[in-house]
Amino acid sequence: MATVGLEAIKNPNALTSLITVVVLALCCIIGFSSRLFAVIRFESIIHEFDPWFNYRATHRLSTFGFYDFLNWFDERAWYPLGRIVGGTIYPGLMVTAGLMHWILNSLHITVHIRDVCVFLAPVFSGFTSIATYFLTKELWDTGAALFAACFIAVVPGYISRSVAGSYDNEGVAIFALQFTYFLWIKALKTGSVFWAACTALSYFYMVSAWGGYVFIINLIPLHVFVLLLMQRFSRRVYVAYTTFFILGLLCSMQIPFVGFQPIRTSEHMASAGVFLLLQVYCFLDYIRSKTSKAQFRSLFFFTILVICGGLFLGVVVLTWAGYIAPWSGRFYSLWDTGYAKIHIPIIASVSEHQPTTWSSFFFDLHILSCTFPAGLWFCVQKINDERVFVVLYAVFAAYFAGVMVRLMLTLTPVVCILAGITFSNTLSHFIKDDDTPVKSKKEGSKKKGTKSSDNGEYAPIQNEDSDGGEEDHHQENQHGKALYDKAGKTSHKGSKKALSPGTGTGAAYKKNKQENIGLGANLKGLALMSMLLILMLFVVHCTWVTSNAYSSPSVVLASYNNDGSRVILDDFREAYHWLRQNTHDRARVMSWWDYGYQIAGMANRTTLVDNNTWNNSHIALVGKAMASTEEKSIEIMRMLDVDYVLIIFGGMIGYSGDDINKFLWMVRIAEGEHPQDIKESKYFTPNGEFRVDREGSPTLLNCLMYKMSYYRFGELQLDFRSPPGFDRTRNAEIGNKDISFEHLEEAFTSEHWLVRIYKVLKPANRKPLGHPLKSKRYKQKYISRKTNKKKRGHIKNKYSVKKGLRTRPLSASKSAGRRSRTGTKRSL
Amino acid sequence: MQLPNYLFVLCAMVLMLLCKPSASKTKQEVLNDRVKQLMEWSSRRTVIQMTGSKFSTYVKSKPRNYSMIVMFTALNPKRGCSVCQEANDEFTILANSYRFSPSYGNSLFFASVDFDDGPDTFQNLGLNSAPAFMHFPAKGKKKSGDTYDIQRLGYHADNLAKWLAERTEIVVRIFRPPNYTGTVVLVLLFSLAGGLLYVRRNSLEFLFNKNFWGSLAIFVILAMTSGQMWNHIRGPPYYHRNPQTGSISYIHGSSQGQLVAETHIVMVVNAAIVAGFVLLHEAHQPKNDMSKRKVMAVAGLILVAFFFSLLMSIFRQKYQGYPYSFLLR
Repeated sequence: MATVGLEAIKNPNALTSLITVVVLALCCIIGFSSRLFAVIRFESIIHEFDPWFNYRATHRLSTFGFYDFLNWFDERAWYPLGRIVGGTIYPGLMVTAGLMHWILNSLHITVHIRDVCVFLAPVFSGFTSIATYFLTKELWDTGAALFAACFIAVVPGYISRSVAGSYDNEGVAIFALQFTYFLWIKALKTGSVFWAACTALSYFYMVSAWGGYVFIINLIPLHVFVLLLMQRFSRRVYVAYTTFFILGLLCSMQIPFVGFQPIRTSEHMASAGVFLLLQVYCFLDYIRSKTSKAQFRSLFFFTILVICGGLFLGVVVLTWAGYIAPWSGRFYSLWDTGYAKIHIPIIASVSEHQPTTWSSFFFDLHILSCTFPAGLWFCVQKINDERVFVVLYAVFAAYFAGVMVRLMLTLTPVVCILAGITFSNTLSHFIKDDDTPVKSKKEGSKKKGTKSSDNGEYAPIQNEDSDGGEEDHHQENQHGKALYDKAGKTSHKGSKKALSPGTGTGAAYKKNKQENIGLGANLKGLALMSMLLILMLFVVHCTWVTSNAYSSPSVVLASYNNDGSRVILDDFREAYHWLRQNTHDRARVMSWWDYGYQIAGMANRTTLVDNNTWNNSHIALVGKAMASTEEKSIEIMRMLDVDYVLIIFGGMIGYSGDDINKFLWMVRIAEGEHPQDIKESKYFTPNGEFRVDREGSPTLLNCLMYKMSYYRFGELQLDFRSPPGFDRTRNAEIGNKDISFEHLEEAFTSEHWLVRIYKVLKPANRKPLGHPLKSKRYKQKYISRKTNKKKRGHIKNKYSVKKGLRTRPLSASKSAGRRSRTGTKRSL
Repeated sequence: MQLPNYLFVLCAMVLMLLCKPSASKTKQEVLNDRVKQLMEWSSRRTVIQMTGSKFSTYVKSKPRNYSMIVMFTALNPKRGCSVCQEANDEFTILANSYRFSPSYGNSLFFASVDFDDGPDTFQNLGLNSAPAFMHFPAKGKKKSGDTYDIQRLGYHADNLAKWLAERTEIVVRIFRPPNYTGTVVLVLLFSLAGGLLYVRRNSLEFLFNKNFWGSLAIFVILAMTSGQMWNHIRGPPYYHRNPQTGSISYIHGSSQGQLVAETHIVMVVNAAIVAGFVLLHEAHQPKNDMSKRKVMAVAGLILVAFFFSLLMSIFRQKYQGYPYSFLLR
């Protein structure tokens, strides 16, 4: 370390690179380790819902190879329809994980594919930090870049989607997003075909990884268009955009799921329109060089008008004629915010499609959410080609994040970039104080280090100036921190020059120096201290949020007792394991769509619907089965060949995400497809309340979901203060305690009743009559006509023989069921 | 439209004359007269305006072979019922949609009674708030479901149509006259902007003014990060008044929701922090003189530190169990 430092001082450039590399490495390590809460607390396990499918697909890829994966038809999902997996997913994530697994294994580092999947997102968060560093460096300077890299490593808005085990598209996609933007800025600055081709390749990776690529393919054309409007258009822009567009278009069409969408859907039309516009503009530019000014003026306006009108009309006509698909519902709901609520309940039912409150902005971004507009302000003040991009990015990403919570993810990177610019810009002034001794605070050291590096880029010019500092370094380079602090000193000059190239002459610099001294050491120290405190608060906040909010696998639950000891509720895996061990390999399990991927992934059984919600009517059918009475739903279940029904019930332990709480969405989705059978209003009390106690609507109290959830729950007294059958989630004593089934049978209930599985019975040999056999009438038939009816006698004390009753317990349950029905009537 | 009705009435009358004695004949006749009258009114105006007496003859009294959907309202401006006007518009949309739907016939009519035209009607029905919607079925008594639950379902025409379908089994597809106001406003705005540009075409500097564009962008971002889009979609109240104590709270108690006032406060706080950072930056620009720069630095620092503390303390109020704070509790 010491020797490196010694040499580095001779060469400020090397020192800067050293600091940069160290800070970036620390970023990666911090980013990686702060995502490991879930792994340390629980185990190396795949989280939540979608990751289970991704894991299953990756497992298939690594076991059977790439081509089998592409042609995979999953007959275990969406029974009886099946699902063409290869053509309906973005394979980038699985291919990345599969590739890493393959490489590690070829190096004889034997890792299970599950561990690769679990740790993929944390590893990629490090790559994201590095990509953000490069992007910010292109946009502003090295100091801001290091800040941005540090921010994105720990910011909760990104951690929420990239903790270990959350094996989802977003984990790799944010890296691809940042890297594509970096390459685009690079291509724009240099105007080289090489960088533009790299952009296209990176864009290809993004397309293969996440549906959010639409954001890129609209933002980059918008950037070009705005540059055109601002008269900043140049040959560089032309080369960069045309290369990127053509190559990107061709590449993106190679992904089976995307296919011909880039030339057939409205989402992609903007990029094609801008491409055409650029050709026209360049053509006009060429004509201008050949004609007189007056002639050209009229020609210019006329042509632009015609072209714009023609393009617009063309798109409208093609859309109308069906050659171009109109905006799909999910995208349309971004613009018309009320659309999804009214027309697509399945989109509205997902919690991450809700709009964002200010508190979740603050929760996910903390201080960054209020400082990044300042960075935007600085960018606008010192605008250039690439900063136009970051301004547009910030404004549009902020809009989208406001509409949908999940799009916070696209906002987070730009917030980190701009907040990095803000802090770097502000702190660099306060640190460069010459006559105050710089505090060697731990927090500060990194920030100061960042500062130092920003000059580093431009530092070589100032060798004479830094001579003074050199001496100090010799004495202090034993402690790394002190080294950073000193380096911080030299920083401001560089940044000054970087920001206003040309004006930074020696004289001007001297003048600045004198004036800076005038601002007062106390004030500077105070400002520095408060900035560092705020940044420290940010780091603490991030860790707290990550630990408390974003590190639960949701497959395994944990609860804490009063004495702080922890109880692990492993009901989900218990139930899925039971399914795996005790049911037929081809058994079909019906559940609400949330649990489809988990059943397929953990229990390896066929499901009817899952989280890939491509077929609304199938989901509505399942919803209808859950929301109808047993007699009606058994018809649906027989129709769909259901063997088992799995539900989640949280009333016993107070788990709020259970099926009764989701029940209204089932009803709504079912009502959308079967309006005459299911009516939402029937599940409410006359006062419009949704309640499960005895005041609840009779339709609700007798529907299949209610009965399955609360079967035998009425016999259970949880503690002595509450009555038997007290639902802890909804804080109510259930209204229907006398539940029995005719066509179902309880097969399994997990330890805390979280998962309940019912078996659908095979139809009995014949349907039992709805009433006892009318034996008298049969007797009548055989009475001889000769005898008078009145004379028909009877035997005294004859044993009554019950005919037609079966010996199976089924009949007993049936009569019990009738009793229960009358029982409820009375209670109502 | 008129001719077949007359024919129908005539035929009915002839039939009745032929085969029925006078008592029930008049009953049927009365019925036919009423339907005829109602048809005539409704062909003029889809929502029939009724006074108290008309209401009792056509809606209250038996016999009827037609259903009535009646809106009770108070449209007079001095009653100060702002909701009534909106409800009236929605109701008219429903009535018009029915008028042009295939199920249009003489078995269902729409009517409205204004409080000023028939206060006694309101008293008889025990109504003490307007607007209210009621369904008077052709046969049988009014059931509880025949009063539309406006508290729960709102007065949106789609919900009204759903309720109508439930009560009468007549399915009406809501057809809204396309709303051109948005387009008109947009066109006006564009032409205004275009006109302004044209008038000021010699001094277009403001288009190149960085402060203008910067403020615009920051405004959009602040509006979004303070949750204005959430307000737009969810429509929360401006503030919350506790009905028991009458105390007014501006901050929603949980992190799941927010009040409009709260978002405005947060927007101002965010703007203040941004301003603080900009001031801190400006304090180092050599173009300003020294004392001014000092003031700027101090002001910027105070803005940032104070308002950030304020923001954190507001957040603590909403997010129970959040452990951190800065300067303020």
